[in-house]
Order: sequence, then C-alpha cells, then structure tokens
Amino acid sequence: MTDTVLFLLVDGLTNGLVYALLALSLVLVFTVTRVVNIAQGEYVMLGALTLADLLQGRMPGTLYLLIGGLVLCAVLDAGRWRRDWRRASLYTGGLIVAGVAALAVTRGALALQLPVIGMMAVALLLVAPLGALIYRFTVHPIPNASTIVFVIISVGVSMSVQGLGLLIWGANPYPVDPIAAGGVMMGPVFIPYQSFAILITALLAMGGLYLFSEFTLIGKALQASAMNRLGAQFCGIPVNLTGALAFLLAAAFSAVSGMLLAPLITANYEMGFMVGLKGFVGGAMGGLIDYPLSLLGVMIVGGLESTSAYVASAYRDVLVFSLLIPILLWRNTRARAEAR
Amino acid sequence: MRMLSAISALAALAMSATATFAADRPELRIGSVVAMTGPASALGLPEKNAIELLQERLANDTSLPFTVKFITYDDGSDPTKAVNNVRKLITEDQVHVVICCTTTPTSMAILETVTQAKVPNISLALGQSVIEPAAERRWIFKTPSTDQLQVTGLVDDMVKRGVKKVAFLGLEDSFGEGGWIAMQSVAKAKGVEIVASERFSRTDTNFTPQALKVRQSNPDAVYIHAIPPSSALVHQALKRVGYTGPIYHSGGSANNAFISIGKKDVEGALVGTTPVLVYTDMPDSNPLKPVIAKFAALYEKRFNVPKVDIFPGQSWDAVNITLRAAEDAMKAGVNLADVPAARAMLRDKIEGVKEFVGVGGIFNYSPTDHLGLDKRSTFISVVKNGEFRLYESK
Repeated sequence: MTDTVLFLLVDGLTNGLVYALLALSLVLVFTVTRVVNIAQGEYVMLGALTLADLLQGRMPGTLYLLIGGLVLCAVLDAGRWRRDWRRASLYTGGLIVAGVAALAVTRGALALQLPVIGMMAVALLLVAPLGALIYRFTVHPIPNASTIVFVIISVGVSMSVQGLGLLIWGANPYPVDPIAAGGVMMGPVFIPYQSFAILITALLAMGGLYLFSEFTLIGKALQASAMNRLGAQFCGIPVNLTGALAFLLAAAFSAVSGMLLAPLITANYEMGFMVGLKGFVGGAMGGLIDYPLSLLGVMIVGGLESTSAYVASAYRDVLVFSLLIPILLWRNTRARAEAR
Repeated sequence: MRMLSAISALAALAMSATATFAADRPELRIGSVVAMTGPASALGLPEKNAIELLQERLANDTSLPFTVKFITYDDGSDPTKAVNNVRKLITEDQVHVVICCTTTPTSMAILETVTQAKVPNISLALGQSVIEPAAERRWIFKTPSTDQLQVTGLVDDMVKRGVKKVAFLGLEDSFGEGGWIAMQSVAKAKGVEIVASERFSRTDTNFTPQALKVRQSNPDAVYIHAIPPSSALVHQALKRVGYTGPIYHSGGSANNAFISIGKKDVEGALVGTTPVLVYTDMPDSNPLKPVIAKFAALYEKRFNVPKVDIFPGQSWDAVNITLRAAEDAMKAGVNLADVPAARAMLRDKIEGVKEFVGVGGIFNYSPTDHLGLDKRSTFISVVKNGEFRLYESK
C-alpha cells in the first residue's frame, strides 16, 4: 500500500510540475495582455515534435511555420514602406536575418549532432519566436478587444496550430530520448531520471522568471504593463513589445514543458491541448494573476489526477475538470470579501 | 472541317469497337468509396492502392467471363460524403457491387442506402455492428477481422496457460469500448473472471495509477485494448510497477510504432494479429501463406513499400470475393445488363462464397455469418528482438 501512495505522489508531483510551467505561461500572458490563451498547450506539442525531429536528425517541420510566419509578418508590414522606407527595410532585413539564422542554427545543430540538452536549446530557439509571431497576427491588430474576443481567437489559434501539426507531422507518435536514460529505485518506487530533470528545469524556469521580472529593466517593463497597461504606456513603455515578449516567454516555458514531457509519453500532434487545459485549471486557482496560488493549483491538479486515475480511471478527467467549480466558488467569495 | 469529320469518324469507329467488345464480354461494375483523405486516410489510401493494383492487373486479363469497370470515390472519412457517393454509385454509375467504407461510422451511415437500393456491399470496417445481426444486414458483408474474433483467439491462449483472472485496460473511446464489449462476452463464455477494468485516453500523461490498480487486483494475465503510443506506454507502466505476468494486446498494437515506442519493455508482448503480419513465419502447409506472399510481393513492388500492412489486403479481398461471386453468377446465367436482378444474384453468390483463401483469412460466408472468418484466420504474434514473430499457442 505504501508503495502505491509513493508512486501516486511521485507521478502527481511530476505532472504537477509540467502543468506548473503551463500555468506560469498562462498567468504571464494573461497579466500582460489580458488574453486567456487556450492555445498555450499547442506550444507543448510544437516543442516536443521539434525536439523529436532534431533528435532523429531531420529538419524540423517547425521551420515551415517559423519562416512562413516571418514572411507573413513582412507582408503585413508592407504598408510601412511608403511611410518610412528606411525603418521598414531595416525591419524586413531583420526578419530575413532571423529566418536565415534559424535555418543556419538548425543545420549546424544537425551536423554537430548535439546532445539532448543542446537540441532542446535549438528547439526552444525555433518554437519561442512562434509565440511572438502569433501575438503579432492575433492580438497586435486589436489591442483593445474584449477578453471574450481574445478567448475565441485563441481557440481558433489552437485548432489551426493543431491542424498544422497534423499536416506537418502526421498522426504518428514519435519517441523522444530523455535527457538521461534510466532511473533510480527509491525504496519500492522506480523514478526515471527524467522526473528529476523536470523538477530541476521547472524550478530553474520559475526562479529565472522571478529574477528577470524583479531585477531587469525589461522585466520591470513587463510587470508595469501587467499592473496597468495605460499607465505603462504613458511612462513610455512600448506595450505592444511587452505583449509580444510575454507571448514569446510563455511559448518558451510551454515548449520546455513539452520537451520534458515527451520522453515519458512520446510526441504527437494532439498532446498539447489537454496539458494546456489542465494548466489552466491550476491557473484558475490563482485567478490567472497570482503565481504562487497558481502553482498550488497545479500541484492539486496533478495530485488529484493521479489519485482519481487510480480510484476511478474512467472518471479521472471529469474529476479534474470538476475542480474548476469549487475553485471558482472560492475565488468568488474571496473577491466579494475584498470588495467589501 | 475535314479535320472535324475525320475525328467524328474515328470516334464512331471507336464506339462501335467498344460496343462489339462489350457484346463479347458483359461488364461488371464495382464501385468503391474509401477514405483517401481525412483522419482515416492512413487506412483508406492503402485500400485504394490495392484496388488500383487489381484494376491494372485485370485490364489485360481475358480469362474472366466479364470485363470489370472500377469506379472509386473518396469520402474524406466523412459519413455524409460516404452516403452521397454511394448513392451516386448506385443511381448514376449503376454499379453491381459497392465496396464501402473504410471506417465503422461511415459504414454504418450507408447501411440504409444500400439496403433500400438492394445492392450488395462489402465493408472494410472493423466494427462488428456493421454486419450484425445478419438477418437485418442482408446486403452487407465485410472482410476485416473483428474484435470478438481476435479477443477469442487471445483468451483461448490464456485458458491454455491456466489463466483464471484477467485485467482489462482500454482506451476510453469507441475503439476501447469495442474491446471491452468483446472481452466481457468472451471472458464469460470461456469462464475467465475479469478482475479489473481500467480506462485511459490517448492524451493522458501518466498511466501508472491504472497500472497500480491492475497490479493490485492480482490478475494472471492483462489484456490491453489500445493503439500506440498509449498501448506501449501502458505496457511500460505495468513493468514499472512490477507486474511480471503475460500481457496481451489487441490488433491495434500490431504495428511498428508499438515496438519503436515500447522498445525493450514490450519484449514478450503477445499481440493479436491478422495473417499478413506474420505470414513469413507460417509453415508452408498453411494455405494462406502463398496467397499472402504473392499479394505482398505485388503490392510492395508496385507501391515501393518495405512491408505491406493489413489495410490493402482488406480491399484486395473484397474485390476478389466480388469477382469470385460474379464468376459463380455467370455460371448460373446472370445477365449483368439487368442491373437489379444481377445485384440480387451477386448478393446470393457472395453469401455462398466458401473456403475462399484471401489475404485476411479463409472466408466462409453464410446467411448467419457475414464476416466469414474463423479461428484459422486469427494469429498471435510475440515481440521478439524488436520484431513481431508468429507465436505458437501451447
């Protein structure tokens, strides 16, 4: 019996940490741009599949998305040429350089056959900018739209990206190598090294984000836009850039969680959405604005998922998503108490 | 002007030529609707390929007492499109036999259409509900094996090993549900007790809790009804929690993805399969072996694939069964020009097909059995050194 409890605890914690990176992304995006990003889970999929391609020595299909996105970006900005050709050519030049650099880095990495960690870094380089590109295409043109419009747009983005994933990679699952193969017996429980990798990376990511937003100017700009968008704008903070940055960082966190998760469950085109939703349930605990409470939320989600899969496997998702109801009730009473 | 008259003269000549040709041998029209696009295209495309291959081979074949015209449409894995295309085949193209469809939902959708039009249909879907009850599904036959048949083969092997208690692990979708229904009835019939039934989905991130539950129910054997990656991941989870008994898998795991994901952990897994996957290991005395070997060689050469999988054989068999039935009907004096009468006669002749050795097994259709397969067509493979090998039941 004790080993069962230990197994459930370890797996619940591991999954909780994966969801934690998602919740982190969701909170970051929501606070800075007011977008409830349903599509956040798709970066998990993109990260995992990009890593799978790189590890198997293929040019990752993500390059199509990235270069296609950069081209679209240039086309959308074509109107600028007439107004200010000097800056416009600089901008377009930058896009071209970015595309070429992405290609070169990928080729180099494939030629060098980097170890898993190196390939993860390259995959991150390819996936994270997609976040900024999607911000440019969906949020940037309508900065003052209501939250509900953004939710619907993000559902659309989620479906499109998943469709593109199916188109590029097909429905087959890809096995992905872990950072370190094998594992260790702790008492009766076998823990794969990958679980430790997830723990360490999640802690590093959270710590990194904290340090970044407390001690750097750009981080403070992010915080300022999160607290008061209009105020930040008045202080000269380019809120469109901070929005794009939030999307980029969030994409990076989610992609990392996908790359960490993939060795445990393989990479496939539909893996992201569910993970994203579970991160969302956890994030709801903190109202999508409170980092520590969101972390607590995802740990509860991970634990509940693990135990409910054990107790009544047919209802495990029902139980996890039902958690939203008490969370929302609790948040509601809290909000009312604060208002009073 | 001269040009035009020359062309029309040529056209007239060509038409009269086909007319005399057609008078020599009547035309049998086989219409098929498969999922060339959409989610089921991984199954539908190989099915289309096999029909194409047969069409090419029949083009210059004069040994048959009729010529064969193939009309093939795509349903995009969509039931509505399937129904429309089947209607088109029946009313516009005046086909004698319909081969449709790739998936169970599409095959279910066209039941009404073919039954009302009184056209024989051979389905390529897995689901048993497509052909049962046979009395109501008078016009429907199918070639792929069913869950029921495969599970029976596996449970028979469990019984031989002395298994009394089995645990079930399945996907929580229509595929897993089909396995669960089959398992319940087979286990009951064979006197095996089901001690656990656990569910998971393809997008789950953790399978250990279900594996723990299964281990605690202390089964003599475990049956997993899922497709990779989940089937391989559940297998790994069972090993991780220390389960050491035999693990059986449905035909959904009989593919390379299962081994490439499960790696060393799935060594020794027992996977139910159709004959195509393991024919090279069969003894030469098995009548299936030469038939499959010939088909595999043709298909692999024509489409340049390293190893044929189970799907093209299903449509290959469907067309060949139709041809066999048509030959029988010709002997009985059918007039293919009288389409409704020919359709009815062909239906009776398909139902009368006996001991037909196909790629998917040996078919014996009857008024009560529109699947036509039995134990001789189900095999168990075992994963050995990263390959599926034929497993000899003890």
